[in-house]
Amino acid sequence: MKNLILVTEFTIKEILKKKSFIISTIVLLIIIVVAFNIPNIVKALGEDNFNEEVLVIDSENLFEGNIEILNQTDMGYKFELAKENLNDEQIKEKLANEKDSCVRFTKSGENVKMEYIVESGAMDFDTVPQDLVSVFTNLYSNIQISKLNITQEQIAAIQPQFELEFIETEENAAQGNVFIMMIISLVLFYAVFFCAQQVSTSITTEKTSKIIETLVTSTDSKTIVLGKTLGIGIVGLIQVIIMITVAVVSAKFCMDPEILSSLFDLSSITPMLLILTLVYFCFGYALYSLFFALTGATVSKPEDVQYANGPVSIVAVIGFYLAYFSMMNPNSGLNKISGIVPISSPFSMPLRVMMGSATTGEIALSLLILIATTIIIAFVAIKVYSATILNTGARLSLKEAFKMAKNDK
Amino acid sequence: MSLELVEVCKNFGTKKAVDNLKLSMNKPGVYGLLGTNGAGKTTTIRMILGIIKKTSGKITWNGKEVTRENVNFGYMPEERGVYPKTKIYDQLMYFARLKGASVADAKKTIEYWLKRLEMEEYKDSLAEKLSKGNQQKIQFIIAVMNDPELIVLDEPFSGLDPVNTEILKEVMKELIKQNKYIIMSSHQMASIEEFCTDLTILNKGKTVLQGNLEKIKNSYPSEKLEIISTKNIDEIIKGCELEVIENKDNHYLIKMKNEKQGEELFKKLADNDIKINKFELKKPTLNEIFIERVG
Repeated sequence: MKNLILVTEFTIKEILKKKSFIISTIVLLIIIVVAFNIPNIVKALGEDNFNEEVLVIDSENLFEGNIEILNQTDMGYKFELAKENLNDEQIKEKLANEKDSCVRFTKSGENVKMEYIVESGAMDFDTVPQDLVSVFTNLYSNIQISKLNITQEQIAAIQPQFELEFIETEENAAQGNVFIMMIISLVLFYAVFFCAQQVSTSITTEKTSKIIETLVTSTDSKTIVLGKTLGIGIVGLIQVIIMITVAVVSAKFCMDPEILSSLFDLSSITPMLLILTLVYFCFGYALYSLFFALTGATVSKPEDVQYANGPVSIVAVIGFYLAYFSMMNPNSGLNKISGIVPISSPFSMPLRVMMGSATTGEIALSLLILIATTIIIAFVAIKVYSATILNTGARLSLKEAFKMAKNDK
Repeated sequence: MSLELVEVCKNFGTKKAVDNLKLSMNKPGVYGLLGTNGAGKTTTIRMILGIIKKTSGKITWNGKEVTRENVNFGYMPEERGVYPKTKIYDQLMYFARLKGASVADAKKTIEYWLKRLEMEEYKDSLAEKLSKGNQQKIQFIIAVMNDPELIVLDEPFSGLDPVNTEILKEVMKELIKQNKYIIMSSHQMASIEEFCTDLTILNKGKTVLQGNLEKIKNSYPSEKLEIISTKNIDEIIKGCELEVIENKDNHYLIKMKNEKQGEELFKKLADNDIKINKFELKKPTLNEIFIERVG
């Protein structure tokens, strides 16, 4: 136990003084602060810059000069009626210098032709924006209706104001704040992808620097593997806590309270959910760290680490996306599977618990499988590490590593 | 105290790296492990310390299996290694504590050894800033700082300059005086001859020679004769049917077929009333014995 603490402590110190760790943490914190300040930055740069400026050419006065009314709606457009009829060349010049787009209306017989003109259409986006079509159609209709001398009641009968409500027929309909749980899944994914990988780097570095032989005569392989996993896990957790703290402070001081409360509604986070999330986070992180310890044991050169980690990274991505896609359909079979399979359950299960779509039995089974898998992977990683410590040649395939572990009795 | 290896074997696939090795070290001092590259020296050392598992046989220290729990041992591996980005003091403290020392004891020991090996000035340096020789001295400190009863040194002098070699030799002598059990593997025959009382020579995993160094040497007949005379004795040597290997200002090195030829020459020199400053029948050196056995 004493040596486990010593290896953990040494690992933490080694990582904390790494320049790459310090720089990446600072960069991440800057990104978080900037992300929470995007609304303020937008405001500071001037709101108009983010509205599409539309020049409306209505040479036949179809809208009877009522275009300005449209600017009272917050649609992301700023409309301006052209004072004169512009030809194609003049429109081109306007688009080059002042406007983002131009809408030209002409009448041919009973039909009204609407042309949407831009300098260059975005990729796969060469149709007239539907919201523009709707807004001009409505405006035109209203103008025409007003000429019919009908009462407000008649207008209301033609254009009813529907009361909208979203109802789910399933009893265990999704509840809670999906956004906040998705952030937790993302944080775990970050921890797995960027922190846990350091376990394999750390193991390989000791092989490269040839210190490994001295180390294994000072303490046993189990202590080294678990100490490193624990040490890097603690550093990852510290980093995550710092990130969350900075995010909370940034949100509190920089975000509009209304937007904040709609995005981060904590009312659905119960103490039990919090504990379960932490348990899944810790075991999920441990599982992937031990996977990386296993791959780290198969290489002896830093340049081989990325190749060796490839399969585990793919498994992590599959696990994350399995959870992510099942979030989109909380009552699907895929969601149940992603909550049970250990590669995805840490990402998926806390969300299912919050949404109320996981039964107690499923939670227990999921945890049991996750813990059992973590223990098995720890056992295999330690065994492979012990057998391959002195392998300083080419990268071993997992098959070769398992064979060496099997023969190392 | 004693270290016993009984019929120890290590196979790597179909290759026998160590074949039926028997070794007994039952008194303090330095035991030499000699052999060409790939003879099985490092594999033997790694098996003794439990870094790799033996295929068969038994390795015991005082009748118990050699493990970290049963034996306080120190090891300096052939592959020199340090944590490059860590301060010397920090890594020495790490290893001292892993081996069970308290912070206070470790601090005292580290300071003693850094001073003893003239490394005090590097205490706060990163290991990567040190020369290879100084990194080697750090590894030597890691091996000996916890006052081990069994010390295993794999090629301790290779790569050291003469000054550092001398410092390490001094320390080795101190450890011998403290009745430590030391196993030393080396290619440097002079070092083995200087320190080892007993040795084993391995060749392709097999033991080709084993025993007390002096006894081994004495078991070999003298095949060379060294003479320093006051005048040229070429004719007398020729008369005894001996071959001159080297002659520098009447300092002769002569090859004999047997020791009797030497006695005959000595008699003739006396009969001719030639003044002799040195007359020595020379036993083969360890180097010569080694080459004869494994060459």
